[in-house]
Amino acid sequence: MNCQRVQDNFIDYQDGTLPPDESATLRAHLASCPTCQREWSALQEMTRKLDALPAVEEPSPRLREQFYAMLETHQQEADSVSPFALARSRLDRFFAALLPSTPPLQFAGAVAVLALGLFAGARFLQTPVPTPVPTATTAASKADAERLAKLEQELADQKTLMNDMGSLVAASLLQQKSTSERLQTVLATMDLKSPDRRVLTDLVGALALDPSVNVRLSAVEALAQHADEEVVRQGLLASLPRESSPLVQVAMIELLTSVRETAAAPLFEQLSRDEAADKTVRDSARRGLAVLRTPSPTDTLNNNNPSNPNVS
Amino acid sequence: MSLATVTQFRVPSDAAPASLPDAVDAANDHELMIAVRAGEVRKLGDLFERHHRPLYGFFVRLTNQPSVSEDLVQIVFYRILKYRHTYRDEGKFSAWIYHLARKVAADHFRKHARTPTPADPADFHDEPDHAAAPDSQAGTSDDLALMRRALARLPEDHREVLVLSRLQHLNHQEIAKLLDCSVGAVKVRAHRALKELREVYFKIRKEQAA
Repeated sequence: MNCQRVQDNFIDYQDGTLPPDESATLRAHLASCPTCQREWSALQEMTRKLDALPAVEEPSPRLREQFYAMLETHQQEADSVSPFALARSRLDRFFAALLPSTPPLQFAGAVAVLALGLFAGARFLQTPVPTPVPTATTAASKADAERLAKLEQELADQKTLMNDMGSLVAASLLQQKSTSERLQTVLATMDLKSPDRRVLTDLVGALALDPSVNVRLSAVEALAQHADEEVVRQGLLASLPRESSPLVQVAMIELLTSVRETAAAPLFEQLSRDEAADKTVRDSARRGLAVLRTPSPTDTLNNNNPSNPNVS
Repeated sequence: MSLATVTQFRVPSDAAPASLPDAVDAANDHELMIAVRAGEVRKLGDLFERHHRPLYGFFVRLTNQPSVSEDLVQIVFYRILKYRHTYRDEGKFSAWIYHLARKVAADHFRKHARTPTPADPADFHDEPDHAAAPDSQAGTSDDLALMRRALARLPEDHREVLVLSRLQHLNHQEIAKLLDCSVGAVKVRAHRALKELREVYFKIRKEQAA
């Protein structure tokens, strides 16, 4: 057996923890190996000397005194709980008393809160206008009613504002946007029972300046309902000499004729003689001129009366 | 020396269990420490009475400085109070107290790395005992002084394993747990420490003889 391995087992052998078969092997080796014998006896000797060291003397009384002094200060610290910790523990106890302590109850509580939330959500989110509930004479429902009245008032305000805005927007749309949108706006003004001056001005503006024939034509049509307005007549008179489209020219001439605008006579005469103008325009102008020169029975009473030109 | 005396002589490692609390005491220790942890700080007094002597012995063996050792014992008990919340339910109190003691000793050695461990018998406060020893024990007394000096010259880790196993009577499993290594490693270290102790011992004896 290897001497090193034998010596590695010395400590266990010394402690008596080496298995019996290995102990036998070790003893057999020791009997035949002087080196290991010396090593073993040296180990034994040192162990014996170590164990023979007398127990350390008693510590001085100072140790005990110091220890108990320290212990006393710690006990006092442990006894005197800080006010913060006290407040916190009270708070903890308060909430602990409020809330369920056992897991099943805690779970039940959580489920109950969830159910309540779902119920409340389903009830109040689907009926934004609270229907009068039989039990609605509470302060909360009163507040709701007040809030509702306020909301309705606001809604009405918004509506009137929208009307004003609508005409404004309609007017402003005339100046920009696409042809179809302008057309739509002009047509929309026809629905207005009593358009304000601004709308009429814009329509006249459209008649005079809009690049689209269709828009100008529609404008004439829209203005026909308000031809008794001075603004409209002046606008028509001003636009007619500059109008290039025969269709619009004819429509304007017919409108002016129908309202018996005598101020249009020189214009009609000029157009009927204009060689460059379209034949239908010239014909229309001549017809209109004839109508205007024929005095209507009502002319003396009301110049603005749009009577039938065929009456004569 | 006959072979028989060499091979059959055994030094029983469990010869002096005086400083080792038995199983009942260990359970009692544990209960006391649980009470201390719960806030009954005064119960640490019982643990102090039971453990301060072996703990003091451990520090004296390691440092050879009795008054320093008293301070170190005090530090260990202070740390027990300070860290009482970290004491675990399954923990063994004696293992825990040695664990703390080792850390305290390590802190001490780190702080005083420059000052060597006093090895001269004149440094010991039990020196008067030495002079008062009867003539018949004079040889043995010299031998003990020599042994103390040899032990003091060992490196700390070797001295520690010898103190724990031979003087504090901890078994190899307990030491392994304390040193956080295997039982085999503890045995190897103990064996090496004994060999080194012997070398140092004979070296000192030679120096004295010269």
